Amino acid sequence: MDDFPQATEAAIARWFGVAPPNDPGRRMAADLVHTIAAFEKLRGTMVFEDEPSSFESALQATKETAP
Amino acid sequence: MTALANLSLTDAAEAVRTGQATSRELLDACWANLEKANPTLNATIWLDREGAEAAAKAADQAVADKKPLGKLHGVPMAHKDMYYQAGKLSTAGSALRRDWRPTITCTAVSRMANEGAYVFGGLNMAEFAQNPTGHNKTYGDCHNPWNPPRITGGSSSGSGAAVAARMTYAALGSDTGGSIRLPAAACGVTGIKPTQTRVSRYGAMPLSFTHDNVGPLARTARDCARIMSVIAGHDPMDPTSAHEPVPDYEAALTGDLRGLRIGVPTTFFLDNADAPVLAAMDEALAVLAARGATVTRMTLPLMDAVAAYGGIVSRVEAATIHAQWMRDDPQAYGQHISSRMYPGYAIPAPYYVESLSRRGPILRAFAAEVFSRVDVLVTPTIPTCIPTLAETDIDHGPPGTEYKFLAVSINTRPFNYLGLPAVSVNCGLDPNGCPIGLQIAGRPFAEARILAAADAYQRDTDWHIRRPPVLG
Repeated sequence: MDDFPQATEAAIARWFGVAPPNDPGRRMAADLVHTIAAFEKLRGTMVFEDEPSSFESALQATKETAP
Repeated sequence: MTALANLSLTDAAEAVRTGQATSRELLDACWANLEKANPTLNATIWLDREGAEAAAKAADQAVADKKPLGKLHGVPMAHKDMYYQAGKLSTAGSALRRDWRPTITCTAVSRMANEGAYVFGGLNMAEFAQNPTGHNKTYGDCHNPWNPPRITGGSSSGSGAAVAARMTYAALGSDTGGSIRLPAAACGVTGIKPTQTRVSRYGAMPLSFTHDNVGPLARTARDCARIMSVIAGHDPMDPTSAHEPVPDYEAALTGDLRGLRIGVPTTFFLDNADAPVLAAMDEALAVLAARGATVTRMTLPLMDAVAAYGGIVSRVEAATIHAQWMRDDPQAYGQHISSRMYPGYAIPAPYYVESLSRRGPILRAFAAEVFSRVDVLVTPTIPTCIPTLAETDIDHGPPGTEYKFLAVSINTRPFNYLGLPAVSVNCGLDPNGCPIGLQIAGRPFAEARILAAADAYQRDTDWHIRRPPVLG
């Protein structure tokens, strides 16, 4: 992970043409290691959805009925 | 004169309707507070006194002519400067839109105008609605009416400050990660983030396609109920808005909480909370219990997933929207804005899709486990005492400042990913004299229930009617 910040900046530059705007931006990009760790912890905990637009149906399924 | 500005929105509308006050008098009362407090608070970006006077005159003439009057007739308002009105300035708090004038009008603003309200200004806000503090590089930081060196909360910073300082009876805010509830909490007013899809977003500056919400900040829960009754409901101009019928939110405000089951999360939301905040929350729970509610301490499920997935969606969506400006003119943004968007470009698309695809199943599982046991969740809106602008200033602070900055919205973000409605009410003052916010969240489309709990609390307490020191 030592080269993670440099690799991340290079990937962003290549894919989007966006340069690091400032030092806090560099630090926050480097902090993506925590995002990766959080996603790693979730691996295997849920199966992939067959119906990707189910959030709206979940709102309906779980909604308030009679207050 | 300024006494009229102390009225709640619903009382102000009633005063106009019954002839006890004119709309012009309401406007003048708000304006007097604005002239007194705004040099300290910096809560506005633009003002239209001439247009407001004309609108007030028309409103008063309608009363004299005994014409049908709307629910908000004659009430002057100002909104976060990201709600489009055709031909009028809408800066989104950014230098990049300093002179931008939209060609369309926001549905929420139109609906309030149809009920008789009018707009006298655009309120300060975080650049493109992207910070939880109220810092603004271009238009200047917004300051807390209770303790000006401290943050207002954001991103609807001017909305919170202006409502608290009696410069407006209500203001629209927007909430993608807490941007209505945080300034409501820090400024001591009432603010509600509706259920995702409950209110049309047509004509509102986009930040996150999936997490943006439009909602009000006002003095009381009843005021918020009044505005929600006007702006909620399907809008053909926003196909993502729900077809769910709009209930009579004000009729639900009975003060009776018998049978209401309150859940208080023992983890996540109370982690690293300050003692004065916890004490205020416990006192508020006692008030609600005295009205008939029962309180259960509980552990919430799936919070790791909610935090991980919710943490990336709005970042990716904001980065996408702003990609061209981030390439062409990144220095036009405050450092705290561009630095937060920048990592969004490195988050892999499968992570983003995974986060969105699991939003529905997580909501179903969360609701099944939580709302089978309780009706609402109560947490601190902000778990700490209100920090200073300097302590949270990423642009000028030392490395690490970003963690204090991001911690402000830790308790509000989960409800954006889950899509649940949540209201924040003032429940005390911290040792620095800044308000403490109590967050009440419920099931999807449970706005009536959470507003009823907030209203019941306000019937027995006076935090919501206290005036901030900036008014003298």
